[in-house]
Amino acid sequence: MMSFSLAPSILLPGIPMPASLGMIPLFAANPFTEPVGVIHYLIVGAVLFTAGIACMTLKRNALGILMGIELVLNGANINFVAFSSSYLRAEGAPTLGLDGQVVALFVILLAAAEAAVALAITLNFYNNHATVDVDRADDLKG
Amino acid sequence: MTGLLDMDISSVTHVIVPALATSLPTLPMAGINWHSVLFLLFAGLACGFAVGVVAADNVVRMALYLVFSLGSTAGLFFLAGAEFLGAMQLMIYVGGTLVLLVFGVMLTAQAPFVSIKPSSSDRTLAAVAGASLLALLLTAAFSVDAWMAPGVGEVPAPSATPLGMALIGVRVDTPPAGSPNGGHAGYMLPFEIVSVHLLVVLVGAAYLARAKRRRTPRAIDAVASAMPVKSAVAATAAVAVPERTAVAAPGRPTGGAKSALVGGGR
Amino acid sequence: MDLESLLPTLLGLAWLLPLASFTVILFAGPRLGNHGKGAAGVATAAIVGSFVLSLFAFISWVAQHPVRAVAHEDHGGAHAAADPTHGSGDHASTAHSTSHATAAGHEPGHDTGHGEAGHAGSPVHYSGDWYTLYEGGRLKLSIGWYVDALTVLMFVMITFIATCIHVYASGYMHDELHDITDHEVHLADGSHLHRPGRFHRFFQALSLFCFSMLGIVIAGNLAMVFIFWELVGICSWFLIGFYYERKSASNAANKAFIVNRIGDFGMLIGLMALWGALGTLHFADSTGPDGHARPGLFSLIRPPVAGNAQWVPDGMVKFAAADKVGAVLRSHADDPRAGVEQVEAKVEDWRDEGYGRWLLLVAGLGIFCGCIGKSAQFPLFVWLPDAMEGPTPVSALVHSATMVAAGVYLVGRFYPVLTPDALLVIAYVGAITLFIAATIALVANDIKRVLAYSTVSQLGYMMLALGVGGWLAGLFHLVTHAFFKSLLFLCSGSVIHACHTNDMRKMGGLSKVMPWTSGTMLVGCLAIIGAGIPFLDIGLSGYYSKDSILAQALLFARENPSHSILFYAVAGGAMLTAFYMFRLWFMTFAGQPRDHHVHEHAHESPPVMVYPLVALSILAVVAGWTLPGGFGIANMIEQARPAGTGGTELGGLLFSAFTVPAEHASHAHDIHVTASLTAFATAATGVLLAALMYVWGIIPPAMVASAVKPLYTLLANRWYFDEIYRFLFVLPVLGISRLVSGTDKGIIDRFIEGLAWGAKQVAGFDAWLDRTLIDGLVNGTASATYSAGLELKKLQTGQLRQYVMFIALGTVAIFVLAGLLFRSSFAG
Repeated sequence: MMSFSLAPSILLPGIPMPASLGMIPLFAANPFTEPVGVIHYLIVGAVLFTAGIACMTLKRNALGILMGIELVLNGANINFVAFSSSYLRAEGAPTLGLDGQVVALFVILLAAAEAAVALAITLNFYNNHATVDVDRADDLKG
Repeated sequence: MTGLLDMDISSVTHVIVPALATSLPTLPMAGINWHSVLFLLFAGLACGFAVGVVAADNVVRMALYLVFSLGSTAGLFFLAGAEFLGAMQLMIYVGGTLVLLVFGVMLTAQAPFVSIKPSSSDRTLAAVAGASLLALLLTAAFSVDAWMAPGVGEVPAPSATPLGMALIGVRVDTPPAGSPNGGHAGYMLPFEIVSVHLLVVLVGAAYLARAKRRRTPRAIDAVASAMPVKSAVAATAAVAVPERTAVAAPGRPTGGAKSALVGGGR
Repeated sequence: MDLESLLPTLLGLAWLLPLASFTVILFAGPRLGNHGKGAAGVATAAIVGSFVLSLFAFISWVAQHPVRAVAHEDHGGAHAAADPTHGSGDHASTAHSTSHATAAGHEPGHDTGHGEAGHAGSPVHYSGDWYTLYEGGRLKLSIGWYVDALTVLMFVMITFIATCIHVYASGYMHDELHDITDHEVHLADGSHLHRPGRFHRFFQALSLFCFSMLGIVIAGNLAMVFIFWELVGICSWFLIGFYYERKSASNAANKAFIVNRIGDFGMLIGLMALWGALGTLHFADSTGPDGHARPGLFSLIRPPVAGNAQWVPDGMVKFAAADKVGAVLRSHADDPRAGVEQVEAKVEDWRDEGYGRWLLLVAGLGIFCGCIGKSAQFPLFVWLPDAMEGPTPVSALVHSATMVAAGVYLVGRFYPVLTPDALLVIAYVGAITLFIAATIALVANDIKRVLAYSTVSQLGYMMLALGVGGWLAGLFHLVTHAFFKSLLFLCSGSVIHACHTNDMRKMGGLSKVMPWTSGTMLVGCLAIIGAGIPFLDIGLSGYYSKDSILAQALLFARENPSHSILFYAVAGGAMLTAFYMFRLWFMTFAGQPRDHHVHEHAHESPPVMVYPLVALSILAVVAGWTLPGGFGIANMIEQARPAGTGGTELGGLLFSAFTVPAEHASHAHDIHVTASLTAFATAATGVLLAALMYVWGIIPPAMVASAVKPLYTLLANRWYFDEIYRFLFVLPVLGISRLVSGTDKGIIDRFIEGLAWGAKQVAGFDAWLDRTLIDGLVNGTASATYSAGLELKKLQTGQLRQYVMFIALGTVAIFVLAGLLFRSSFAG
């Protein structure tokens, strides 16, 4: 179940947490010595994902938005890889295994395809409107 | 007097090294988990550069930061035991997609568009949105106990061969427990689909980006050819906003444009 | 073939032929011939066929039951002895008809004093039912016949007169073959009515009338009589109102029908009394569904076992003594059968105590009420003079010979049931009628009015005759009167046709111009006054019938001196009759023409109109004659004398005790001579007076009129009967109707309108609700949706970044919500 008791303290990332549940003390103990678990990767993935979303939201340059998309997909890939890795889990714990890596591979492929098409669109847009400012692309305004 | 000068190698070996030997174990260095150190390094780089992508205003810098971020991600992949994937990441993603992106950046990096600053309200809103999203994700991540346990698992086998075989449809790895079909499903079909998909994308992108014969000259050409470069900026700005009533005033292409997010429509 | 089945067949066919003619003309009238001229042919053919059939029936009857003179012996006293040979002639033969053929004519040469006693059994009659409409319990409604000598004779008389009139009318009504401009009808814009002719309609109604009249005559039960009674009334209404666009004609038709209906109300009471008490309306005995004999009215009220003396039947006794019956039954509540037997045993005692006599009287008087209406007796005679608005053939057939005679016929047919007191009431009503009508006829100037009042007066004669015990006299006069009155009406029609006016004051001296009409009318006048030679006993038809009436009245007066006014009424009426009839003839045909214009245009009628006149005049002469050997109308009627009515009767319920003398006693020589002389003297006086005033001009009528001005005014205004009735009945009814209609309009209609107004208000409120709230709701929803859409449209900014923001925030929101709601992890 969602441990909402942790929720308020999670809101500010990066702050060391007490090992309240006897779980892995994320950053309490020496980060250099303690082994890494899935959660660490998830955090990274979350940060990347969020950065990607923020980039998509924030950037007015069309290419900036494309970069945001790449970040999002990468964040997802990190999560997949994290789940598939048996190194990050406890002994004998179930993982996604190969499936996770395959999915991440496909994501990379599709990201490439999508980046190509998106770039084509952006270039077309640039050719027609002489700008890459997406704020100018409001022809679909209702 | 045997003072500092009396220090000789034996004293180094007999005094310093034992001193180090006795104190070093107390240093964290003795039990350093290099895996974790490297993880921290790559994770930090990835996150930092990702934030850098968001924070940067210059699109070229954004591209560079992205390259670094994704490269670090590849390192993370390696650390997780997915070395094939990490290699693919570097090859396809960084070496292909991002290069493409950089090409695009180069093609469109006219002066006015190199850095378009969003308004502060936009930034605040994006920060709020990002923060809330991050909070949600982290909450979700922390909610599962299984993910909190430290990893002491065995080093996984190299994954290239099983992955390649799986793509053909033959699973040679031990499937994870509880997988449907006993985990014997291959990825032949997705492989083929993606192949076709890439072909289609290739054709489509080529079509979309073809050089078109235009009856009327492109806006960009008309402007660019008719005017010198310096005033082309103002001209393009003027052309770009012929019917718009406000926002980018000529001469202030990087000026504080009204937030598109907050201001709504024109 | 025996009479029992032949007569019903013949007479039934004769009865239905006019109905067939009616139906044919109804459906194909205008198409028959040119402008419907063939309708006359169809109707005449039908009635001629009826006449032929009736004649055939007549001949068959006479062959089987020879008409003989009946010897008259003084046979006073009631006949109580039961004659075993004549006892109960009821041998029920078939299920359909029972015939009681008893001895009356079966003793050739039987000339004993059994004259009346020979009729102690019921007269020769055949009765039966053609079709039973309903039979259950005590009620049997059927279409059936009762055929005796009277029936056959009436059939012949009616069909013959009707034939003559059909022929006459085919000429008289030729105006109706083309469009007519009716000068007596004024339309709103002052012009005269222009309408198409209705020739076929006339004959259609005439045929229906003949059918109805013959239905009355042949009817075997009172219910059937009543049905055809009404039907005859309707036909009369049709025919009187033939020129219905004339207000006078339509009013007259309504008057006739309404006044008749008033009489019929009394008739219904009589019917109810009879049926309620006795359970049957049949005249003669019939067979019930269970095979038992069902006695008819005649057998119940004059039972053979009591020698056909009249008594109150058991049913009426029990009905009248209902409380006593109830007491007996209650005392025997434990043993109902014994109770019923006790009641039966006590009936005799109750009868002797007099229970039920009033009921029988009421029954008889009730039926007579119908006859008052139909035969235009006092006080319901006011319709007959107005009925002259109809065409003259109608007056001749309906209102002189047949329909009005139906009342007299019914009294004659119903004679056994009438108690002596009822008969005396009838006699007085007849006397009053006779007198009033005769006096009015004295001063009437319209030729048809004179004849109408004459008819009323003569009907009063007949009623009086029947009332004083002269059953034969009354019916004999009925037959003879039919002949000469129809003759008189047809002649008057001929005169009117020639002069185009009804007013006798414009006529005069027409005998040279219209010899045939004049001659036949003279015959008719002589017949009605009873002209004849007393000592030789030879005269026209009216002579014999009038004589017999006078004789019976004289006998009655002698037997009951306190009621001698009846005789004086008869005698006085005879004088008045003679006077006004010859006044009519003299004013019309004799003397100098009073209006030359009329005189110039007068012409004899065409032969088709003259032949019936001649035929009827012949009959008016010979109808009263009795051939040597006894064949004559009087003797034939005698064959049908109801059982037990030939003797004297004692009355005393309503009046102080009186005697109704036996009719055959009126043939006593001294009475006969006195009566004849009285008749002759009065008639001669009347004629002489008329001649003095209108031929020789010795006594100017104007002088007489001014000498007795009040009397003259009274008579000229018809005794103010119309005005009195208007005041007594019409105005109150109109007042009530105004009151009721005022209530209806003022209160009920206002209430309804108020309801409607209320409904409208509610409807308006509903409409407002609908418009404002419901439509408002719907429209409001629509406009709210539209506004919402317009507002939501603003979300679509086209801004890509905004969309991404929304996606991100939306995702966060969804997951937060889901987390709040489900509190479960999303992974393992």
